[in-house]
Amino acid sequence: MSNAITEIQDTKCLLVFGYNAADSHPVVARHINKARANGAKVIVVDPRKIESARVADQWLALKNGSNMAVVNALANVLITENLVDQNFINNYTEGFEEFKAVVEKYTPESVEKITGLKAEDVRMAARTYAAAPNAMILWGMGVTQYGQATDVVRGLAALALMTGNFGKRGAGCGPVRGQNNVQGTCDMGMLPDVYPGYQKVTDDAAREKFEKHWGVKLSPDEGYKITDLGHKVKDGSCRAYYIFGEDPAQTEADLAHLRKTLQAMELVIVQDIFMTQTAEMADVIFPATSWGEHEGVYSSADRGFQRFSKAVTPPPGVKTDWEIFCLMSQAMGYPMSYENTKEIWDEIRELCPLYAGATYEKMEGLKSVQWPCPTEDHPGTSFLFEGNTFSTPSGKGQFIAAEWRAPMELPDGDYPLVLSTVREVGHYSCRSMTGNCSALQTLADEPGYIQMHPSDCEKYGVKDQQLVWISSRRGKVISRISANERVNKDVVYMTYQWWIGACNELTIEHVDPVSATPEYKYCAVKVEGIEDQAWAENYVQTEYSNLKSKLRTAARG
Amino acid sequence: MNKYIFADSQSCIGCRTCEVACVISHQEDRSLSALDPNSFAPRLQLIQNAQVTVPVMCRQCEDAPCARVCPNDAITREDDMIKVNQERCIGCKTCAIACPFGAMNVVTQNKTVGSGLFARDETRALALKCDLCTDHQEGPQCVKVCPTNALRVVTPAKVEEVSANRREAAAMAAMAVS
Repeated sequence: MSNAITEIQDTKCLLVFGYNAADSHPVVARHINKARANGAKVIVVDPRKIESARVADQWLALKNGSNMAVVNALANVLITENLVDQNFINNYTEGFEEFKAVVEKYTPESVEKITGLKAEDVRMAARTYAAAPNAMILWGMGVTQYGQATDVVRGLAALALMTGNFGKRGAGCGPVRGQNNVQGTCDMGMLPDVYPGYQKVTDDAAREKFEKHWGVKLSPDEGYKITDLGHKVKDGSCRAYYIFGEDPAQTEADLAHLRKTLQAMELVIVQDIFMTQTAEMADVIFPATSWGEHEGVYSSADRGFQRFSKAVTPPPGVKTDWEIFCLMSQAMGYPMSYENTKEIWDEIRELCPLYAGATYEKMEGLKSVQWPCPTEDHPGTSFLFEGNTFSTPSGKGQFIAAEWRAPMELPDGDYPLVLSTVREVGHYSCRSMTGNCSALQTLADEPGYIQMHPSDCEKYGVKDQQLVWISSRRGKVISRISANERVNKDVVYMTYQWWIGACNELTIEHVDPVSATPEYKYCAVKVEGIEDQAWAENYVQTEYSNLKSKLRTAARG
Repeated sequence: MNKYIFADSQSCIGCRTCEVACVISHQEDRSLSALDPNSFAPRLQLIQNAQVTVPVMCRQCEDAPCARVCPNDAITREDDMIKVNQERCIGCKTCAIACPFGAMNVVTQNKTVGSGLFARDETRALALKCDLCTDHQEGPQCVKVCPTNALRVVTPAKVEEVSANRREAAAMAAMAVS
């Protein structure tokens, strides 16, 4: 995020795009409520009437898969109605003319059929956004989990650029993250193309710095993305897969394909705290400590480093992630060893100019230190781009436009409904950490729910709370109908953490060309009622018991 | 005047943390792990429909219909609130029908009484509604856990303060007209 999460309260306009804070981040939802109470205008762009939409000044219920068209239409209105900050554009940005040429034809009127939005509503939203002295855009997985994701992110950033909404408090862009510490994994170089601190592996100077410090030769080539692995294992270029803190057999798109990839690997190592379905397929399992059993540093979505301490002593024989990495490294012939996490953190600070001043001492007492924090006397950075200098080679903000592309798999006669995968507040991510909590089980349990508009329920002859089959070209699962007036017609929604009603058996591995994130938000499915509900209830219980007993047996070893 | 818990639908995000906190607060063992999904009976219930998201619970009415219809005097006004004496409840459900908010929930509990030869199963009825967590030192647990501060205890003093502020604002508005 370009701004601290707390700055949400300081903004005068919030454009919430494809982001359901109430279910994903209740803490951010609270900040959105406070912004409203402080007089901010709130515009929500989401196909569902999510909690923020319910209390927003304006809710734009766009059609699923039309993000780019909506963003281009908003940009079109800002430009044609002369609501832009020309001074900011002239002095601090580049590429505006090329951008303008692309969005010129995206009048809200011309894209009404694609977006499902009345032109006048889009115009009103653009005017509200431009009228605010400072405005923030928040977006979530409703933007990034599409085949056209990076383009939309650039488009949203362009809205902020053309209205001068960067470089000041309460003005900017907030891509809230999908999971706790996703920001941290990016910050620490878990992306295939960067070292810690966003230093490119292809940058000779950066690579030489790390080579010198670590005393090893490093590859100048970018690594593989998780979505590349299917092809890499097929052509023999990747044969081992070391997974930690992740459950791809639950969370990846098109699970049948993912299982084939795992099976084709010569070696699968899983480092986790529970026997997940991924761990069950592993050749080697390293039991690791959970968040309460070790110490470390998290990065929150707003670039804030926060230290946390160990609260519980782990069971014997269980090691922390960093100790396991050191042992693995030693076993492979590289003498990696550290005394404690502070030693590791200080090495990170030494090698990453962005984090150099974020000392353990500064984080003492639950304080958050936001990078960039270049020196020890620097307090950290609440908002980026002060003085309107951007982190591009020229220092100028770049306008990059793109044409709208339709999602990959459109509904048809055989699969007439769109499936979009979403979150629910009670369960965290793949649910390995929350699935055993009785309170959360009480609120929602297997096989999970498929949210469907009441008129679609009638159309397909299914009733609220009934079990149904949902199938796509890739798989078939059972789930329970939740008749829900807040969702739009012709689209169904499922949360992705259920074992029996696993919606990722259905999703498609169509990825964004830059981020390589799959299109979790759009694939074609059909829903079929089940005559014998008693049989179906029994089937769910049996399947769930069998799966649990399989994992229990695997855990015993 | 009675005190009661007010829920602000503009702040509620529908997370149901209040429901879980309510159940735990009324358990003998007040730990999360003691929660039994089979007897989950929160005294406030989240309503989430096309228009609104908000938990609904007892308003501690001054002229409480539930108390007036109870044939066994199990419901009384005490300590600025409406209390249910579970020992006197016979499970007739008249209070549940009388409550205009649907805030009274009559549940049954199976219990083994006596021992050895004389052990027998007995069904006990309980009329459950918000008791402002009077048994809890920290007060209403739903208020404490709400992540968006959508719940608050409204006391007679608070009602008077809000009214006084409104009168002030009304007077100022009147001045603006003249």
